[in-house]
Amino acid sequence: MRLDIEGLIVHFPYEYIYPEQYSYMVELKRAIDAKGHCLLEMPSGTGKTVSLLALIVAYMRQYPSELCKLVYCSRTVPEIEKVLEELRRLLQYYEEQFKEKIPITGVVLSSRKNLCIHKDVRQEKDGKIVDGRCHNLTASHVRERHLTDDSVPVCTYFEDFEDYGNESYLEPGVYTLDDLKSYGAKKGWCPYFIARHAVSYANIVVYSYHYLLDPKIAEIVSKDIPKNSVVVFDEAHNIDNVCIDSMSVKITKRIIERASANLLDLAKTIRHMKEVGPRRLTEEYQRMVDGLRETQQARETDMVLANPVLPDQILQEAIPGNIRDAEHFVGFLRRFVEYLKIRLRVQFVVQESPAGFLKDIMQKVCIDRKPLRFAAERLASLLKTLEIADQTDFSALVVVSHLATLVSTYTKGFIIIVEPFEDKTPNIPNPILHFRCLDASIAVKPIFDRFQTVVITSGTLSPLDMYPKILDFQPKVMTSFSMTLARPCLLPMIVSKGNDQVAISSKFESREDQSVVRNYGQLLVEIVKIVPDGVVCFFTSYLYLESVVAAWYDQGIVTTLQRHKLLFIETQDPAETSLALLNYIKACERGRGAILLSVARGKVSEGVDFDHHLGRAVVMIGIPYVYTQSRILKARLEYLRDTFQIRENDFLTFDAMRHAAQCVGRAIRGKTDYGIMIFADKRFSSEDKRSKLPRWIQEYLTDNLVNLSTEESIQCAKRWLKQMAQPFTREDQLGISLLTLEQLQKEGVENIQQKARQKIK
Amino acid sequence: MAAEDDGKEYRWETGYEKTWEAIKEDDDGLLDGSVAEIIQKAKRKRMLERKSNARLGMMRHIFVVIDLSECMADQDLKPTRQICTIKLLNAFIEEFFDHNPISQMGIIVMKNKRAEKVSDLTGTAKKHIKALHQIESMPCGGEPSLQNALEMAMRSLKMLPSHASREILIILGSLTTCDPGDINQTINELKEHVIQCSLISLAGEVHICKALAKTTGGQFGVVLDDAHFKDLLLLHVEPPPAAAKLEPALIKMGFPHHVTGAVGQSKDAPMLAICMCHLDVPSECKLSAGGYFCPQCNSKYCELPVECKACGLTLASAPHLARSYHHLFPVAPFAELPFNAGDDNDPCYSCQRSYSASKDKNIYKCGRCLQIFCVDCDIFVHETLHMCPGCASHPSTTSQLK
Repeated sequence: MRLDIEGLIVHFPYEYIYPEQYSYMVELKRAIDAKGHCLLEMPSGTGKTVSLLALIVAYMRQYPSELCKLVYCSRTVPEIEKVLEELRRLLQYYEEQFKEKIPITGVVLSSRKNLCIHKDVRQEKDGKIVDGRCHNLTASHVRERHLTDDSVPVCTYFEDFEDYGNESYLEPGVYTLDDLKSYGAKKGWCPYFIARHAVSYANIVVYSYHYLLDPKIAEIVSKDIPKNSVVVFDEAHNIDNVCIDSMSVKITKRIIERASANLLDLAKTIRHMKEVGPRRLTEEYQRMVDGLRETQQARETDMVLANPVLPDQILQEAIPGNIRDAEHFVGFLRRFVEYLKIRLRVQFVVQESPAGFLKDIMQKVCIDRKPLRFAAERLASLLKTLEIADQTDFSALVVVSHLATLVSTYTKGFIIIVEPFEDKTPNIPNPILHFRCLDASIAVKPIFDRFQTVVITSGTLSPLDMYPKILDFQPKVMTSFSMTLARPCLLPMIVSKGNDQVAISSKFESREDQSVVRNYGQLLVEIVKIVPDGVVCFFTSYLYLESVVAAWYDQGIVTTLQRHKLLFIETQDPAETSLALLNYIKACERGRGAILLSVARGKVSEGVDFDHHLGRAVVMIGIPYVYTQSRILKARLEYLRDTFQIRENDFLTFDAMRHAAQCVGRAIRGKTDYGIMIFADKRFSSEDKRSKLPRWIQEYLTDNLVNLSTEESIQCAKRWLKQMAQPFTREDQLGISLLTLEQLQKEGVENIQQKARQKIK
Repeated sequence: MAAEDDGKEYRWETGYEKTWEAIKEDDDGLLDGSVAEIIQKAKRKRMLERKSNARLGMMRHIFVVIDLSECMADQDLKPTRQICTIKLLNAFIEEFFDHNPISQMGIIVMKNKRAEKVSDLTGTAKKHIKALHQIESMPCGGEPSLQNALEMAMRSLKMLPSHASREILIILGSLTTCDPGDINQTINELKEHVIQCSLISLAGEVHICKALAKTTGGQFGVVLDDAHFKDLLLLHVEPPPAAAKLEPALIKMGFPHHVTGAVGQSKDAPMLAICMCHLDVPSECKLSAGGYFCPQCNSKYCELPVECKACGLTLASAPHLARSYHHLFPVAPFAELPFNAGDDNDPCYSCQRSYSASKDKNIYKCGRCLQIFCVDCDIFVHETLHMCPGCASHPSTTSQLK
């Protein structure tokens, strides 16, 4: 289909288009035109990805000088693969239309674990071990040694890539993980490094968030991406947490122990090297004196992405004298580690700001702020000089050095909390030092500053105005699209009381209340009786799940549930959970029917789709508030209030509702799908909660579906299920939620936009 | 909403519903309205798909599988699902044998994870109706096992000669099936034996049921209410198109005349005898002279069509075959025309109702006699009458009909 979107000719690889896809492209085009950032919410299953790709590819072809690269960030490997499949389809369509090869390269980058084809290394299951073993074979000094001594093993794939592949470019086309692997195997080159190399010249790069958001990785992988690129964060409803996690450090006793051991190793290696040949160390010393001038030059000319771990000021200075010498530096680190050890020896919770921490460290062990700042940089350089191949062994020390750099660089937006024990086990001493980022905008700022357009998109971004606040940016376009449907294929309901009129809620005071627990159980039993195939039920936490299931067991509710469907429970063990999921799917496929009890914020709630028969109903038991007693959370709330004027309650509700929306959104993955969404908590009925749900859910949550009792909701669901089961074909959708080109032209742009943005009642 | 003169059921018997909402939804044009429209469209589409001159499997062998599990006691169909199903099945069986006189039927019930054959494949409606009567009083309990029922039906059906069409019609109230093994294997076997499985679910769309219907080429439907249930059931009265695997074969049939001879009136008048059909039940036996006599072995029957118990010959009368005949030459589908309120339209040719813009979006025209019909009559002509009133009433087209 050939579309004209405000002057831009877009080739769309399908015969039909959803009205919201069209409006999505219009909004996206406006944002790119304005060279600004945008925030777009569109329900899952309405073809976000293909609209994005179609528009951006068209833009790149028409205005290559304005826009030369697309960086598409997604969360999981299957999602990334899906993007590439869509892209392949799109390019195939282009080829059919133009009868020629399109000079566009799309490439995926993933970890070594997913890309390695070395016969021994790829057998490893753990990503970190794969990385380590790869380093062992590919580090520069290992290769140097290999030149003189054949017994030192190297990776032939990497060698061949270095010799020949470095200069060559991939043929235009789309390369998925498997394509890269087979291409690598054919050529005898390392697929991982092919992909790394391709990132710099490919037109479309698809990878995980971390390659861009985590400053430690972004420095290596993404620094060459040009300014006039579009960066897309898909499934970005959790982007603030990713940002925060990438800037936070957690120090446990174990890390300290391992770091001390690392230091001993380091000292030994240095001594050995001094005896054998001190040349390297002197060379390194010279480099230190010259400072980081080169890096600074690169940044000024706008060549690289700024790294927040390595702030601008550092670059203007040389590395301080007292840590230039390798032995001095090791001594310096030892003092720092000893200091941390002392800090962990606490009986009660300590909370302080980075400034207080620095002052204390100065007093206790006489470490100045300035050398601390260089710790990470200095350690990296030292590890390189000492020819330590397997850096995974030193991960503990690297973590400590990151802490040193971060704590001395940022005084605002961070906090240090030392807890002597975990909240769940107050009697077992297990001290942890949290160095916690409170401000999501720090990690994401360089990205907003550098790239001309950043697109943040997901199925659930409501309320939209929260994201610009917590990420601290000014979006040019901010829109929420609804789902145009030929039949009402989602049925959201708020159940607030049981049949005995007892209000149901997961709030703290009524958690232990047996009548509430019983009413939740009865609701589930009734649902299980009338809903075919799969039902998924989300609890607010593992703790709550366990206590409720125990109570249900005593009340005989579990037995009743099992009479109708098989019961599966998500646990904190990933292997157990995936086994449960597998059997859950099997039970749904075979017609036995199953119910899965899982937890909001868990693995199931984020990554697993329950489309069609796998999830005909989703029940959200309680509002999934984050654990509010956590000190880290309290500190963050305080910071948000002081800095961005976001009230604590607003943020908590926002966070809870986005997770609730994520959970219930699992059931609907397309327009032919249908599913019931039950919000089982009295508090969902209040306006401030309801209004924070995504618009496409709100639209169907009419007043008559709010504040229902169990029985009322069952009546609604029963009738609705039968209606939805009637045969439904594409012809029924045509013209309403599915448009052909003629219909699109006839309807006119204005109408369609209006359709996609139906007003909320 | 449902006023008393509606005749369907009393207000207090209906389910709990918020009537004020029902009205609102209609105004929206979203809920009830759109679904009803989709059903209507589907009906028409089916009609259009039905081609004349298609090979139909006229000798049908069908197993009706009835769910008698716990959930059949549910009261969402009045008075209960079980009784409602039996009632509708009674009508269905009559209708079925009326339209397919040379077919056979058997009944299986599922309860307590077991399948039980209530009546074996036979061509007499009476026997089945009696069986149904018996089922009506059976208590519901346990869970159904789809696999067991399918296996049982398959065991009987796969022995049949290759010219017979084999079908299973399942009426399922439960949302689960409790199977001893992998049901997918059974489904594949069914497909191999060209057994068409159709399902009518009383509760909702169950994945495996839909898959079963799809793989074996049957239909899957979910009932909205009893009227819709009846519609779905009656769909199965029409013989399905013959599967490609069916071999054409000549079938030997007998056409006995009804002999009504009083005793002793003529030489070849029959003797007083007991008929074969009532042999099992001595109390219903009537000694009479008249009846139908099998041309091959001279056994006596009091009703047709029937399969001769002695020699296995299919006995039917000519009108029976004639009734099957209209399936082969259905009335050609009418053309759909948009209805414009401004046009000067005659009322519907068949029911004489004048059209109104609010009710009639489309009107229908017969391609042969060029008369115009309303949507209800369109469906009535094609589904029940099998004869266009326009064509039949006009001399020039009537002759063409014959």
